[in-house]
Amino acid sequence: MVDRVTVTLTLNGERRRFEVPPGRRLLDLLRDDAGLTGTKEGCGAGECGACTVLLDGVPVTSCLVLAASADGREVVTVEGLGSGALHPFQEALVARGGVQCGFCTPGVAVTGAAALARGVTGAERTRLLAGNLCRCTGYAKILAALDDAAEAVDAPA
Amino acid sequence: MDVAIQEVVRPASIAEALATLARADARPIAGGTDLMVQLRDGRRHAACLVDLGRLGLDGVRRDGDAVEIGAATTMDAIAGDAAVRDWFPALASAAGQVGGWPIQCRATLGGNLANGSPAADTAGPLLIAGAGVIVVAAGGRRRVPIAEFFLGPGRTALRQGELIAAVRLPLAETAAGRRVVERFVKVGPRREQVISVASLAGRAVVGRDGALEQVRIALGSVAPTPVRATAAERALSGRRPDAVARRDAARAVQGDIAPIDDVRAPARYRRIVVAVLLDRFLREVERG
Ligand SMILES: Cc1cc2nc3c(=O)[nH]c(=O)nc-3n(C[C@H](O)[C@H](O)[C@H](O)COP(=O)(O)OP(=O)(O)OC[C@H]3O[C@@H](n4cnc5c(N)ncnc54)[C@H](O)[C@@H]3O)c2cc1C
Ligand code: FES
Ligand code: FES
Repeated sequence: MVDRVTVTLTLNGERRRFEVPPGRRLLDLLRDDAGLTGTKEGCGAGECGACTVLLDGVPVTSCLVLAASADGREVVTVEGLGSGALHPFQEALVARGGVQCGFCTPGVAVTGAAALARGVTGAERTRLLAGNLCRCTGYAKILAALDDAAEAVDAPA
Repeated sequence: MDVAIQEVVRPASIAEALATLARADARPIAGGTDLMVQLRDGRRHAACLVDLGRLGLDGVRRDGDAVEIGAATTMDAIAGDAAVRDWFPALASAAGQVGGWPIQCRATLGGNLANGSPAADTAGPLLIAGAGVIVVAAGGRRRVPIAEFFLGPGRTALRQGELIAAVRLPLAETAAGRRVVERFVKVGPRREQVISVASLAGRAVVGRDGALEQVRIALGSVAPTPVRATAAERALSGRRPDAVARRDAARAVQGDIAPIDDVRAPARYRRIVVAVLLDRFLREVERG
């Protein structure tokens, strides 16, 4: 039995403390210890992006992050993307039909929200989404939703 | 699933990190984008991981006639840094093509080098920049020229217990009237999120008469380590990159590489790709 390590996170705006085995991945801490099962495990190897969360404001694949490395940092999962309501990109994904089976959606939503926050446009915006694989939609509707959300963010009603 | 380690240490100083790394069963972890996959697949083992996230080893700074990039600087930070984009555009471009964006936000320069892959995308741009790797150990610091850093697949000049602290890139002033073309290109099944089948980093300084005053070419994924294409460089030296020179270079470069067949591509394909990448780079240099 190995010693446990303490991991303190600001998780979706709330300060939380976890005692976990040293080899715990951030992904498993989120799903199993924090009960936030929105974040999905696809490949477990950094390739699909389904497990993407924000770590100090930038998207990372949580399957490759040691929970202990995230200690003291801020984590936002799909559950915490919008404040209370859906994030504009999530709204746009729904409106555009950018969700089919939904398995990639939490990661896509998180990366897309971060891309919008960075304020990039056009091809650069598409490049930032390229690490999130989707086997259903063919991407066109996801990218259209991102364009819609960019307009919504730029010109709030 | 948890990775099979016994302990994780999160030192707040380099001295503390080096003290733990003196243990034979300890290994540093930076972004974890190579190491977490290797631990999971059982390709590497470590009882103790030493997290480098709190050592202040990140950031790009100008230091006299060089730019110094901290080992823990992420690919995302490198790709977006104004000094790197201005002075070392091939490096900025390579950093922006490592995996996808969520990988780039974790993957570090030090990890890319220490992992020792022949496909490490930042290696070529560092080779053409004549960079130095600043290595620290309990006994002091040393500077390893990037050309001497890679020893073979998964093998580098780093010894047990040593850390990369930074990479130092000397600034090269361009004389008046000269034109500099610097590029990084990689080939793979898709643009993002793939390990290169072959990559080329090139830097050319073109004189007023259109002749190459300097040309440096480095190649990835086509030899046991990232390599400088010295035979191709010699074939081009002092010449205009016209069709004849390009043909000579495409022939010469075959002697610079020793590609293998692997899951990503056959050796023969890699030889063709290298010739094409070199030709395209030189055409761009000629066009200006
Ligand atoms: C989906 C995916 C796509 C990828 N695509 C690419 C790609 O296109 N191009 C590419 O080049 N790579 C790619 N990679 C590989 C990887 O992301 C990079 O090599 C990355 O730069 C590694 O950095 P890291 O900080 O994550 O290293 P880690 O995984 O933390 O460490 C890697 C190795 O370096 C050692 N180490 C780390 N930092 C130091 C240090 N400062 N001093 C001494 N040793 C150290 C570790 O002990 C370990 O052995 C990809 C990986 C994934 C998962
Ligand atoms: S589960 Fe993490 S990238 Fe696929
Ligand atoms: S909606 Fe099914 S994988 Fe994207």
